[in-house]
Amino acid sequence: MINPSSHVIEAVPSWRYDVVGCLWTSAGTLLGFHGAPILETLGAAWGFRHDPAQLRREEYYFPCPPGASLWEAIAPYHPVRSTWREPADAEEGWAQVRDEVLAGWPVIVAADNFDLPFRPAYQDVHTNHLVVVYGFDEARSTVRVLDAVPPRFDGDIAIKELMAARDSNNPELHARDMFFTNRPIANRWLEVEIDTAAFPAFDLDTLRRTIRSNLDGFRAESSVEAFVGAGGQRRYLRDVVVRLRAGETICDELFLVAGAVLAQTALHAAWLALAAQRFDIPRLAVAARSVERIAHHWSAVRIAGALTRNGEYEPARLERRFHVLVDDHGRALDELEFLLPSL
Amino acid sequence: MTLRSALEVQGAVPVPIASHFDNRGITRQEDKARGEFNIWFNSFPAEQLPPVGGRITLGAVPFLFPARDDHGHDNLRCGEQCIELPLGRYDWIYLIAASERRSEDPLHLRYADGSLDPEWLRVSDFWPETPAHFGEPDGLHCADMHYPRHVQRAMGPSVWRSRVPVTRETELAAISLPDNPAIHVFALTLVPANPIGASV
Repeated sequence: MINPSSHVIEAVPSWRYDVVGCLWTSAGTLLGFHGAPILETLGAAWGFRHDPAQLRREEYYFPCPPGASLWEAIAPYHPVRSTWREPADAEEGWAQVRDEVLAGWPVIVAADNFDLPFRPAYQDVHTNHLVVVYGFDEARSTVRVLDAVPPRFDGDIAIKELMAARDSNNPELHARDMFFTNRPIANRWLEVEIDTAAFPAFDLDTLRRTIRSNLDGFRAESSVEAFVGAGGQRRYLRDVVVRLRAGETICDELFLVAGAVLAQTALHAAWLALAAQRFDIPRLAVAARSVERIAHHWSAVRIAGALTRNGEYEPARLERRFHVLVDDHGRALDELEFLLPSL
Repeated sequence: MTLRSALEVQGAVPVPIASHFDNRGITRQEDKARGEFNIWFNSFPAEQLPPVGGRITLGAVPFLFPARDDHGHDNLRCGEQCIELPLGRYDWIYLIAASERRSEDPLHLRYADGSLDPEWLRVSDFWPETPAHFGEPDGLHCADMHYPRHVQRAMGPSVWRSRVPVTRETELAAISLPDNPAIHVFALTLVPANPIGASV
């Protein structure tokens, strides 16, 4: 059998929702490619989890419950799973991705934007990002890459550029190498399993069960290791303020945590709004808007946290924001709890 | 002059807010390294925006497009600034604003009679390729974005024309902005009260 020197997978969709990053855009692309509904899948879950030992300096950071893969964490109500593949070196990393593409599967790979010519950070800022690879042409030494995070890119770059981005040590070299540096990319790629045929229908029964499960999750007791649920969120936010007051640097940590919560919360608000429209439930649309309000709190927290770096944002101001966030969060949960029996 | 700018809202009052500026969001190519609009030190290219310090019309609303103050600042991060206003009856507060990811928070309207009401300030994301989330129909859209070390072509950030209603039908004296550092304000204009029936 002749091993083809070029292959491009057809019909690879681009997907983005405004406040999310590469974890979600790449997941949206693969879900769409496999014929799975995107917002119905990525917007279903809403919760809070922070395990300090698990915090990773990645744009695609998302906290995973014990034993759950990254995709099981972002889409816990759907039959999906992911596994990080960690090749020995750049050559093996390319060979594995090439094989996947040849087999017809778009591949999510980790990459340092510093080496990706279509990213604004090219030759400027190191970071830990995800892109989708779905084709290559070895005669031209190019690889086809999709990145839905602005500036959206869907085109070819040199294979050696992608390999350099995947093999980067992602060093922190200057003041703008923030948040997502100091974690070698290590040629990792994400193997995903999507059992589209087994996806639950987006119907009223799914809606009820999903909201019930999310509310139960928020009422879960925190474990010793992790901050979980509404109580864990409250404890975590209090803990951040205490540590900031004690002089600890919290900006990188809070930026990562806030980015993940913001994305999931906004997607869940959109999911609730979609359900409200689909099933003609105006009161659910109101509850959706209350959840969206929580996402907008996290927009503020994300920037406020970053501004603690140079003392521009003081602990007392952060603490006051957290109090309002927690109050509004409690009200949003109450609204959903109140609404649930009538759905 | 476009038809739109010809249809400028009558009696609108652009309010100077430069004394509250604390952030440099607009840079020329030669000083892009000093931009600090967002936490990554990106900035809007001055060459692709109206002349600073001039009067512009955005969606029929006139604004004072910001000139840099003595510290090089041209916008404010919302941090509870209290902006004194020309005393008067107004229906709307229009702003040129942009947010680091969309956000919202209540600001407070202070009336001459001592009453005070919260109203929502909602501002969409400045990030390129991101549509207005809160229904802002007008904005200033750049083609490129300034990074400290380079100009990123074909990646244009936006500032939006946002508005806040003045619901109390009495004289407005000041507004207090929310404490939300994601939201930036470049300009502010008051649109006077329109007595019911006056426009019919």
